[in-house]
Amino acid sequence: MIERYHILLHEFHQETSKELQLFSIIAQSFFQPFSLIDNLLVILTALTSGTGLGFNRAMLFLAGGDKLRGEIWLGPASAEEAASIWRVLSTPGIGYLEIIEHNRSLLRGDAGTLTKRIKKTAYPLGTVNPLVPALAAFSRDIVLVRDARHEPLVDPAFLEMIDADEFLCMPLLAEQSVLGEIILDNAITKLPIKSRDIELASICGLIAGNYIYTSNLQRRIVDMKRVAAMGEMAMFVTHQLRNPIVTIGGFADQLLDPKVPETKKKRNLQIIRDEIRGMEKILLRLGQFLRVDIKQQVPVDVRDLFKLVTEAVRPKTADASITIKSEVEEGLSAILCDPVHVGEALRNLIDNALDALGPGGELNLRAYRDSGGWAVLSVQDNGRGIPNAVKGKIFDAFVSTKKHGMGLGLPYVKRVVDGCGGRIDVESEEGKGTTFRLYFRAKPQEREIPG
Amino acid sequence: MKKKILLVEDEQNLCLLYKEELKEAGYNVTAVLDADSALERIKKNTYDLIVTDIRMPGKNGIDLITQIMALRKDIPIIINTAYQSYKHDFMTWAADAYVVKSSSLAELKAKIKELVG
Repeated sequence: MIERYHILLHEFHQETSKELQLFSIIAQSFFQPFSLIDNLLVILTALTSGTGLGFNRAMLFLAGGDKLRGEIWLGPASAEEAASIWRVLSTPGIGYLEIIEHNRSLLRGDAGTLTKRIKKTAYPLGTVNPLVPALAAFSRDIVLVRDARHEPLVDPAFLEMIDADEFLCMPLLAEQSVLGEIILDNAITKLPIKSRDIELASICGLIAGNYIYTSNLQRRIVDMKRVAAMGEMAMFVTHQLRNPIVTIGGFADQLLDPKVPETKKKRNLQIIRDEIRGMEKILLRLGQFLRVDIKQQVPVDVRDLFKLVTEAVRPKTADASITIKSEVEEGLSAILCDPVHVGEALRNLIDNALDALGPGGELNLRAYRDSGGWAVLSVQDNGRGIPNAVKGKIFDAFVSTKKHGMGLGLPYVKRVVDGCGGRIDVESEEGKGTTFRLYFRAKPQEREIPG
Repeated sequence: MKKKILLVEDEQNLCLLYKEELKEAGYNVTAVLDADSALERIKKNTYDLIVTDIRMPGKNGIDLITQIMALRKDIPIIINTAYQSYKHDFMTWAADAYVVKSSSLAELKAKIKELVG
């Protein structure tokens, strides 16, 4: 027997403790595409949601450089406001989305002014004898401060800001590093902070620390990928431009020699101009590739598309005595795409096919619906096929087997098809030929109106 | 006697530039645009030095060096390329010098002088 459960807050058993429910809210929020601060806001909310874990207010500091910097200060400014907020938050069945929304509005309202106050504050982490609040982060201990006004280890400016006698400082730690600190108090209800409160808060602190750590890692991965892609492009462009630059520089040097005859001067200038034109072409192609931006998708008649691209290559195919055939399945009229980019993508595939075909070669364009409901455009040739060595890399930018190839043709095709919400695949065998298949959404068939 | 250099460079204009500049510097230069033509020449003639690019259509410079090693072990070879990265390629150890292309041909000329005088 199999039983299935979806983990949703309102389905929790009545006896499930409030604390567990709140932890579930936190856990679920991490699966949402919210920002770091939004998700930390959920944790602060769990800590301060009145009847929940029970603190009145929560401050969040994040470690940046060698300082703790104020980020959010969540909580009511007065007892009246507290009562109204807690009424809302104790409504049965309230979900994490509502809580976040509520707190976003809170941040814009009065609590926003609290946050504004904390935003300006920063406490150094590297000092020899740190005062509270930096002390907790520095020592990596949870620090409970009682009778704060008589405690010399509390920073006086911080005390003035928080204006509470008792508060809990909880460092956010992960992997040996200090990532921030949460400070909790009961400034409104004046209830004492108990050991159970500290236990629950410490679990929230662990979750928050690990969450910050993971999202920092994720951000670093994204950054690294971006840097790697940029590095690859920079290296490629450097190499593409080095040959023409060396040529231009060398022939320009010759021009500076006063003994150079007029005919050679003219020749050198022509070479220099040609090389510059070549460099312009490189930059143009690179620019085109980087600017693929598909916004509008319209129904496009496949027959028109095929006709347009085959006519454009007609002179080339006739010269090389290559046969080009196209076939569109009955009933498939239009695909949804950007006609300009898809036309250009087909041109790219056909140009590649023509390069791979010898005299007497055959090129087949087909359009049909597959069993999954996709409209498929296929470009098939019986040419030399893709060498095994580059098969896995054909859609990577800057991989080319041609002399002046930029390696941007197939990556461009892929970007276009992806941009239209479709996909591309390829089948190729050395010596036998290659088939590219482009999958698009078909235009929904119109129902025939009877009579 | 002028020293004989075989130059392999697939970019036509660049090939012309090197040829002119090295002739000007007093060498007898044969320039070819690909590795296969270079091998043909090597089989039929003797050269004092080979200057080759690495990235070329068809057979690349590394393959060329490997084949030259099998034919004439004693000919000095200079790799002249737009790429820094091939310096770490296993087969480039077989070359006598590695020059990254620059619009000033001073380094290339200096290496040639060092190897053949």
